[in-house]
Amino acid sequence: MHGRVKVRTTEEERERKKKEHALKVRAYRAAMGRILKKRDAGELDDEMLGLTVQILHRNPDVSTLWNIRRECVLEKINQLAAAATESSKSDEGQAEAEAESAAKPVEQEDKLQSVYGQELTLTEQCLMVNPKSYNAWHHRCWTLEHNPQADWEREVQLCNKYLKYDERNFHTWDYRRYVTAKAAVPAEQELDFCTEKIKVNFSNYSSWHHRSLLLPKLYPNEQRDRPMSEEKLQEELEMVLTAAFTDPNDSSAWFYQRWLLGGGAQADQPPKVVAFRMGATGAVVAFNKPCPDFEQFRVELASNEHMWKLESWQPADSRRTTWRTQTSIDYQKDESYCLKLAEQEIKLLPLPTGDGAFYFVPPHAASSCSKELFEELQTQLQSCYDLLEYEPDSKWTLLTSALLMRAIDVTANHERSLDHLVQLQKVDALREGYYKDLAASWTLELELAKWVTSTEFPKRFELSAESALTSLPYGQYLAIADELELPAKLKEELGDRLPLTFAELKL
Amino acid sequence: MADDLPEQFDLIVIGTGFTESCIAAAASRVGKTVLHLDSNDYYGNVWGSVGVEDLVRLLSSDAAPHSTLRNGSYTWHDESGDTSTSEGDEMKEETGQQWTRETVLAMSRRFCIDLCPRILYSAGELVQLLIQSNICRYTEFRAVDNVCMQQNGNIVSIPCSRSDIFNTKSLTIVEKRLLMKFMNACNDYGEDKCNEDTLAFRGRTFSEYLQEQRVTEKIASCVMQAIAMCGPNTSFEEGMLRTQRFLRSLGRYGNTPFLYPMYGCGEFPQSFCRQCAVYGGIYCLQRSVDDCAVDANSNEVLISSAVTTFRAKHVVSAPRYLPASRDCVMRPHLSRGLFLSSTPLGNEVLNKGGGGVNILRLMEGVREAIFIQLSHFSGACPKGLYLFHVTTPAVSDDPAEDLRPFAMQLFQNSAPEFVFSSFFTLTTQSQPNKGGADDAIFYTDAPSFEMDFYDAIANARDIFGKLYTDVEFLPRAPDVEEIVVDGEDPSALNEHSLPEDLRAQLQDMQQATEQMDIQD
Repeated sequence: MHGRVKVRTTEEERERKKKEHALKVRAYRAAMGRILKKRDAGELDDEMLGLTVQILHRNPDVSTLWNIRRECVLEKINQLAAAATESSKSDEGQAEAEAESAAKPVEQEDKLQSVYGQELTLTEQCLMVNPKSYNAWHHRCWTLEHNPQADWEREVQLCNKYLKYDERNFHTWDYRRYVTAKAAVPAEQELDFCTEKIKVNFSNYSSWHHRSLLLPKLYPNEQRDRPMSEEKLQEELEMVLTAAFTDPNDSSAWFYQRWLLGGGAQADQPPKVVAFRMGATGAVVAFNKPCPDFEQFRVELASNEHMWKLESWQPADSRRTTWRTQTSIDYQKDESYCLKLAEQEIKLLPLPTGDGAFYFVPPHAASSCSKELFEELQTQLQSCYDLLEYEPDSKWTLLTSALLMRAIDVTANHERSLDHLVQLQKVDALREGYYKDLAASWTLELELAKWVTSTEFPKRFELSAESALTSLPYGQYLAIADELELPAKLKEELGDRLPLTFAELKL
Repeated sequence: MADDLPEQFDLIVIGTGFTESCIAAAASRVGKTVLHLDSNDYYGNVWGSVGVEDLVRLLSSDAAPHSTLRNGSYTWHDESGDTSTSEGDEMKEETGQQWTRETVLAMSRRFCIDLCPRILYSAGELVQLLIQSNICRYTEFRAVDNVCMQQNGNIVSIPCSRSDIFNTKSLTIVEKRLLMKFMNACNDYGEDKCNEDTLAFRGRTFSEYLQEQRVTEKIASCVMQAIAMCGPNTSFEEGMLRTQRFLRSLGRYGNTPFLYPMYGCGEFPQSFCRQCAVYGGIYCLQRSVDDCAVDANSNEVLISSAVTTFRAKHVVSAPRYLPASRDCVMRPHLSRGLFLSSTPLGNEVLNKGGGGVNILRLMEGVREAIFIQLSHFSGACPKGLYLFHVTTPAVSDDPAEDLRPFAMQLFQNSAPEFVFSSFFTLTTQSQPNKGGADDAIFYTDAPSFEMDFYDAIANARDIFGKLYTDVEFLPRAPDVEEIVVDGEDPSALNEHSLPEDLRAQLQDMQQATEQMDIQD
């Protein structure tokens, strides 16, 4: 029967798709060939812009084409600028054309704006095709940067729109930070925006991250030992625990919570001296984190009368957290000494044995805590305990309660927080090593803090065999000791990674 | 009356209710010739949606012989005499519209009043069927705004989704965790058949299971009332099944797991009829059946309507449409209350932006009822009016009396400004329908008491399966672009089938390529 309708078979459909694909490939190759030929010939004209649009609409990730477009745009801007100077030159001699020339800059500006406008429209269309196209986002930034009259407010609105479609697109969040800075959007307003997005869907790393950048600015912490003011911190803790309890399998909230409970340490801060010791023949210095270019530092040791330049530093460990130098120093017992490096000036203490001076600061000195924040932490800890009664093996609750205990009182809760880590090694066996390392860090933090008050400080450091550690974090802090008393098992485990004592450095 | 209809069919369907229309579409879709008749001048019968005038007519007139609607009564509330109190005038100024019998009747056709209202699970049977069959292209929906429960005499929205639970202030964080955990456990139930936690509850009630989950009182009532929609005697298995239905429909469209069809549930029978017609089904409304007989020789059913006698291999009929079924005793089945109000029920939170489409399940001892509020967003009533549907399984011949305890619960704390109220009973046959003498005639069931259309679809599938064994029930109907006219060579794809700009570009480029050295 002729003219009867029937459904295409999958075979026919496949055949049709194949043909369409082949045609598209041919069109793509032809266009690319033409574009590259024109570029070789230096023809950066409107035709070129038109050709690239057709390919970019279908595939916004051809970086070459975006580069070519940028060349075209720059070319156009130059042409417009040249035309402007041309006309102003010819106008100079002719007073009667003054009225006309007043209109010209406006016209010029319009043309310029339409060049930029075209690029913005194109990137918008391309982002519809692929909202995560690095190239399209980059080209948009480039265009706006080149336009002195860019409308940043409009860009903020665009972000609002895009984040409504997909509240988790990190490209859009990144772009948002860029444009809100340009548009000088108040941080309060941005924080409200983040809160709205969290309410819609709290499983959103980008939004939590954006918060973590805004809050320290909006609610700075005076002592800098917490990420933000205590009042705000209290609110944030409450909000994030609600999210975490609502869906404990979503890790975004837990990550944000760990940041909140942390000391507010900034990752981009330079390495800090945590331990230093000098004797008659040399000195050792240890940092809280690797300090790979320490040999370039200018380091001076000063007493009331003398000044030594400490040079030829050698790394004493593979991570370059500890450095040593062999310099003879005429140490006088009753002199006070001071170490100067970069912008730090560190007062040294005399060794009890009288054969040198030293400096030591244990990791993470306990933070103080207001009554209100203390109460909030207590409430949260209690909620965790309540929950553990229902779900004794809940991984995140175990970990969080351990962190909360430590935020409340590190020393008093040390044993109990370690108990939680032991249990975590069982219920979350995949991350057993992680919990062991965490336990080692917490143990060392406590032991190092206790060490300062011991009678043998800083000559002898002892770690009891009960602690059952398999790693030794903060090893560089021990560079000032002469003698390390570590459990045999740990020594065996560490092998040649065992930190060298001051005596072993053989200065 | 002579009409040029064919007289021979594979199937004659009588009555355009949901189940009948569903079977008609399914038969037509697989190539059967179908004649579909209804005595009414509208589609849907008791499954349909009507305007106010039609409703009033249905409620006041003596029932048509085929009707299953009984005990109708209605009241206009503006006829109490003192219509123009000063308070009333103020109201008029505020709302800009005073609703009276006249103003409502003048807009009669702006109402789509369901005789048998339903709410769909977003991932439920009907939604799946509509998608699978592609009949969804004829339908539109409004996501239900709030699923409500009663708490200390107030109507409150229950937190449905993860973000609802996160944002609600009514639960402590431990309660939030417990509720989420409970929901996840229900979601996973059934995947692990030997799960010891649940094995112990087989054969017990869902309420017992809940109590042993150590969830708080608040959460338990939220689950029982609104999520699982259980009664004290609902079995554990049934409760789990219902909870799963709820949870699996979450996060599809909107914030709650429910959908309401725009312009009323009467749209469904019509959508199925449309599909039937697309595949060649023939429709005749206002055609009643005068006689029905079976031809002993050919085993065909003879249907006399007006002057024509149609012959068909099978007949499917709604109860009471065939003269033979009219002797059957009808018993009350569903008691319905239907109210028009100029104020919504519940507080502002439940009625953001001009009134919500809200549902609330009510309990009274072991009895239950479903309450649905429709605002103009549902397309079922004009702006400024609210349509309240209450449905409960009938216990007597007096629908108002059956619904009294539920109406008390609903309206005692917040009396809405009623404009119109009505009650009626939907009946069903006392004895289940048996097929006709020769298994050539099948009767569909009257609407049962349920939220969605699970029973009705099961009924349609069952009858269809008896009519045509091993034939797919409503397979997907192709979209227009998937259809080619026979005689065209599908592989003869040319440049015309490319998008326009690409085609122009291609032509442009082709000349260019000829001069260039480009490898294919």
